[in-house]
Amino acid sequence: MKWRIESKLNGILVLVAVIPVWEFISRAELVNPLFFPPMSKILQSFFLLVLSGDLPYQILLSLKRAAAGYLLAALVFIPLGVVMGLYPWVYRLLEVVIEMARPIPPPAIVPVAMLFFGLGDEMKIFVIFFSCAWPILLNTYDGVRNIDRLLIYTARTFGLSRRRMITRVVVPAASPQIMTGLRVSLAIMLILVVISEMVGSTDGIGYFILDAQRRFKVDQMYAGMLSLAIVGYALNQLFFLSYHRLLAWHKGLIGVGPT
Amino acid sequence: MKLFGRINLAGLATFCIFLLLWEGFARASPLLQLYFPPVSRILLSLCQLIFSWELVGHIVATLGRFLRGYLLATLLAVTLGIVLGYFKLAYSLSESLIEFLRPMPSVAIIPVAILFLGIGDAMMVAVTVYACAWPILINTIAGVKNIDRTLINTARTFGLGRWKALRKIVLPAASPYIVTGLRVSLAIALILVTTSEMIVGVSGLGFFILDEERSLRTDNMYAGIFLVALLGYGLNRLFLVLEKRAMAWHRRMTAGEQI
Repeated sequence: MKWRIESKLNGILVLVAVIPVWEFISRAELVNPLFFPPMSKILQSFFLLVLSGDLPYQILLSLKRAAAGYLLAALVFIPLGVVMGLYPWVYRLLEVVIEMARPIPPPAIVPVAMLFFGLGDEMKIFVIFFSCAWPILLNTYDGVRNIDRLLIYTARTFGLSRRRMITRVVVPAASPQIMTGLRVSLAIMLILVVISEMVGSTDGIGYFILDAQRRFKVDQMYAGMLSLAIVGYALNQLFFLSYHRLLAWHKGLIGVGPT
Repeated sequence: MKLFGRINLAGLATFCIFLLLWEGFARASPLLQLYFPPVSRILLSLCQLIFSWELVGHIVATLGRFLRGYLLATLLAVTLGIVLGYFKLAYSLSESLIEFLRPMPSVAIIPVAILFLGIGDAMMVAVTVYACAWPILINTIAGVKNIDRTLINTARTFGLGRWKALRKIVLPAASPYIVTGLRVSLAIALILVTTSEMIVGVSGLGFFILDEERSLRTDNMYAGIFLVALLGYGLNRLFLVLEKRAMAWHRRMTAGEQI
């Protein structure tokens, strides 16, 4: 435990040390300061942009799109994965279509989405929905397929109805793997919202960063990236928090125990 | 996964019905045809594009960037990962930096790369390296950290030098983890290559798809998407074949343990 704390401290010290080193490199013009503005300037424009509400506004816009696509994907593909896991014939029907669509790299879908939905919110939501679909669907399917047979037999012996069996046994038993899919998709969601805003948008944090670069407001570009890093970190932490809350029972079950 | 293992007739039938519906609807409605050209026409333009050699240059460009970025990322991330996994001090120093940079969606680095490297191949390769390096790095660190202490101690007892222990013990023992990282990065590399091609727009399949969409040659656009998907699928297959060959010793070992 003591070592852990020291190790964290070490790391944070390095993180803090990066700031003056960066500042020095930029001020001494070791790297073209046009591309590499001093850290103080970046932090200054970061705080200015946050206080003016500009950056929070762009991030909120992006997060709204991201959340819509992500939740929609979860809403559609978790049930589909459960059904596919429970009924092999459904899986066999859809297998080829899924295997054909899955290797499409998500950015390749952006032009199609632009064609159908224009440059609005729907386009980004669709892109995120599409690319988050596969990890969620395949992990849910895998999770359901790998449920201990004993659980199902026990539920059957106790005469649980189909519906209760799904809500009480199947979904909880598969939930660790469903969560894995959701976690993978969370990272993908953030990437895709930025991509879709860079390629076809007039607002959002992805557009903000690329636009700042094109207007040579380089300090603002770095400020935008800083805010993205913070958002990404916060989302991850939030996910872990809810993960541990939701799956506390599971941890107790496998004997690691939340201590 | 087992698309060609045993033929899934029901799945193929669904896929064909899907294609027929697409064809039928597209032919029936001229408005839809603009967005959704009939499948037959897409295939036709795919053949035309390939035989006119128009696409070959784009495919070669994309593949070249992919390979350079992916291989360079592997080299860098595995080396760094071993160092960070092996030396506690190095890890504790860099941990916070890694934790801070990792959640930032990797595409956000594209504007920075444009600033420093212009809009050529170097920029696209650099972006790919940056994005691919994370999963490989994290997995390599985990792999090295999780090596059975007995292995290392045995190596030491037998008087293996640092370099030899690294080559004969550390690298093989961590390789299952490293392979996992490599596999995740494979998809990421393709995402980053196509995205940067879309944004800087010089050549490559990503550029081609977006360009055809903007000129409303939708049949060409879908042909491009099909090719990117094929590329992703093919690369994944190739990876699995190579993995099977390279990791055969590992599978034998784990199976032996079970018996």
